[in-house]
Amino acid sequence: MAKLTLTVNGRPWSGDVPEETSLLEVLREHLMLSGTKYGCGEGQCGSCTVLIDGRASRACVTPASRAREVVTIEGLASDGQLHPVQRAFIEAQAFQCGFCTPGMVMGATALLARTPSPTDADIRTALDGHLCRCGTYPRIIAAVRAASTTMTRERRRG
Amino acid sequence: MADDRRTAYKRRFDGDLEPESYEIVDILDTLTPDRRAFLATLGGGLLFLVTVRAQDRDLPVRVQVTDDGTYRAFTGKMDMGQGSRTLLTQAFAEELGVPVERVTLVMGDTRLCPDDGGTWASITTPQTVPVIRKAAAAVRAARTGGTDALTAPAAWTTLGRSIPNTTSLAIVTGAKTYPSDLRLPGMLHASLVRSPHHRAQLVAYDAAAVERIPGVRVLRDADLLAVVAADPGTARRAASLVTATWTPAPLRPQNEWPARFKATAVAPVEQPTARYPPLLRRGDVEAGLAGAARRLSSTYWVPPIAHVPMEPRAAVADWRDDAVTVYGGSQAPFLVRQEVAQALQVPEARVRIIASDSGGGFGGKQRGECEVEAARLSRLAGAPVRVAWTREEELTCSYTRPAGLVDVESGVDADGRLTALRFANYNSGAAGLAPQYDVPHQWVGHYRATAEVRQGSYRSLAAVANNFALESHMDEWAAALQIDPVAFRLRHITDARLRQVVEQTAARFGWGATPVGQGRGVGISCNLEKDARLALCVEVAVRGTDVRVVRMVATGDFGAALNPDALLNQMTGAIIQGMGGALWEHVDFDTTAQTTRRLSRYRLPRFRDVPAMDVQLIDRRDVDAAGAGESPITLTAPALAAAVFSATGRRRRSLPLLPLRDAAP
Repeated sequence: MAKLTLTVNGRPWSGDVPEETSLLEVLREHLMLSGTKYGCGEGQCGSCTVLIDGRASRACVTPASRAREVVTIEGLASDGQLHPVQRAFIEAQAFQCGFCTPGMVMGATALLARTPSPTDADIRTALDGHLCRCGTYPRIIAAVRAASTTMTRERRRG
Repeated sequence: MADDRRTAYKRRFDGDLEPESYEIVDILDTLTPDRRAFLATLGGGLLFLVTVRAQDRDLPVRVQVTDDGTYRAFTGKMDMGQGSRTLLTQAFAEELGVPVERVTLVMGDTRLCPDDGGTWASITTPQTVPVIRKAAAAVRAARTGGTDALTAPAAWTTLGRSIPNTTSLAIVTGAKTYPSDLRLPGMLHASLVRSPHHRAQLVAYDAAAVERIPGVRVLRDADLLAVVAADPGTARRAASLVTATWTPAPLRPQNEWPARFKATAVAPVEQPTARYPPLLRRGDVEAGLAGAARRLSSTYWVPPIAHVPMEPRAAVADWRDDAVTVYGGSQAPFLVRQEVAQALQVPEARVRIIASDSGGGFGGKQRGECEVEAARLSRLAGAPVRVAWTREEELTCSYTRPAGLVDVESGVDADGRLTALRFANYNSGAAGLAPQYDVPHQWVGHYRATAEVRQGSYRSLAAVANNFALESHMDEWAAALQIDPVAFRLRHITDARLRQVVEQTAARFGWGATPVGQGRGVGISCNLEKDARLALCVEVAVRGTDVRVVRMVATGDFGAALNPDALLNQMTGAIIQGMGGALWEHVDFDTTAQTTRRLSRYRLPRFRDVPAMDVQLIDRRDVDAAGAGESPITLTAPALAAAVFSATGRRRRSLPLLPLRDAAP
């Protein structure tokens, strides 16, 4: 067992978990944050994407011991306000089953933090590690584009 | 479970159902104790039990008016992402005469919901929606004293509108609870000790290394061997320490499958009332072929492929007091109830299935393998047990879309019109057999065959293989006769709506105006499947052995678009999903085992693959709505194969199309 100390969605958490436990398992089984999904366990599908120190990371292949500051889908909305990326996904109905959506939203959020006005090619490249078996890719690209526009406008307004 | 029971269950919902009459069987408020208990489970109010009669069948509908005046409606249909939750909510709301916000849909709980069939074959729209509308209108009439007539399409306020997915907020916030998210107090996590083989019997096992670990238990029921523990990581690590000896069943090499299918083929007989009639005959195909000016024969092949829903199967079973409740995500909760009851040898009344919206199904979650495993283990453990398949289990313990061989032989007259078509599908299925073309002499049939690997439902099932074969064959004829592929198709299409769809698609695409050759190619496909009229034009760029899809233009006429935006989402997604089976997907086996075991070894469509897309609908408000979850997937493979031919002059008759190196010239 290893003693683990993390900050998840702004709140400190500590606990004992077996060595090499993945961040995904800690989130889902210890913190009971089930919004981060298991899809493949080998970093192929992006369903488990969270932000670690601001970077989009695959929680299923990240040992929990390597994470410090984690933001999950549950921590993205603030003060009851959805993040612009979340709003854009609803507006574009950029999902079908919705299982990949939390990971997609986190991946897109990380992209827009780094590249506020991405081209479609930037979006495709950034999200290429995310699978959507329902095939909603064109809507997701549109949603990320729309979120980028909204965020740029909101920044200008200050 | 025996396949004949599945077949019998499915047959109950075969055929088109036009609601003829209804009866409000009962209105539950102050009734017998067990009914009161039932109502108490529902939270009180007034419960309408309605039976809708359609073609000698009685279909049950339940609607509850709760104490706060909102409605709860119940259905055994499931939502795996195809939008049935929102659509059926719309159907109830439209005829109850209330906004969608006033209706909550309870799906997939076999205790609360009526058995209105499984979620398959795109029948929710054409079959369930009319039944629900009829019953909801009856409830409205009973409540208001007004008419029980259906709302005319022109007067729709909810149907026909692009109502957003009713779970949108939960989806984007991570709050939506999928089957794999469910936890029960005191629950144990199971990790199964699987044989590496496709089928095998457990001979012996050694769990000595595990039994000393505190909190870990080894459970065995026949060939089911599992370790359970309070957390999944402990269970998984312990399971990896168990050694087991298995006797595998041998598998023939995959290159022998075509011969095997033919050797075991059972000739079809006509069953005109079946959902998928296995034999369609018209005219005299022998005479037609004999009298043809030119003949052409081709053989097509589709390999087994995997569904790969993003959410691998998961179930939690709670066995107590000789009864079991299983939480899962099957597409067919009432069938799963049968399966669990049979596996545990208990009456169905002692099994309750509570299925929730799952993370994709595509036909892969019609059976209850995972639910049965959880139920068996819960009984052994004496505690709730969760079985959550890993991705490897999802790939290898499920079933694949059947491989299929299609032999096509046809003839044209001196004017280049198809006069005879013999079309024989081996093993993959009878779905989508009916040609969309008018050919005077036809023999179109599906030979059942024996496959050694597990195979089962898949989005549109054999309609992909059948349309790949038929449309590729049409393309071969167009090339042989040096006629434009669109013109050649139109020559044989009598359905006015399909003609319009093909013409509009070709026009928007700029068919005939797009340069081809030198690595660029265009292709078209169309289909009249499950009452939908569909066409797709594609442009590809071929580089070496690879193909990039440049753009796609598609049109769908599904009759009335009950939720146009959701329909477009389905159609677009199905075409994109079809790229996987067309270009890359195949599941491989060796002499005992499936060798395709990881997502990293199974190429699926990704962001980088998605072309520019223009997908449009023709919305015919006054025409009965067709289901849309499946049929568009049948367009992709033949259009891409035609485009590859257009670009390279090489005809590829088996899927997947890539890599291109072994394509026949």
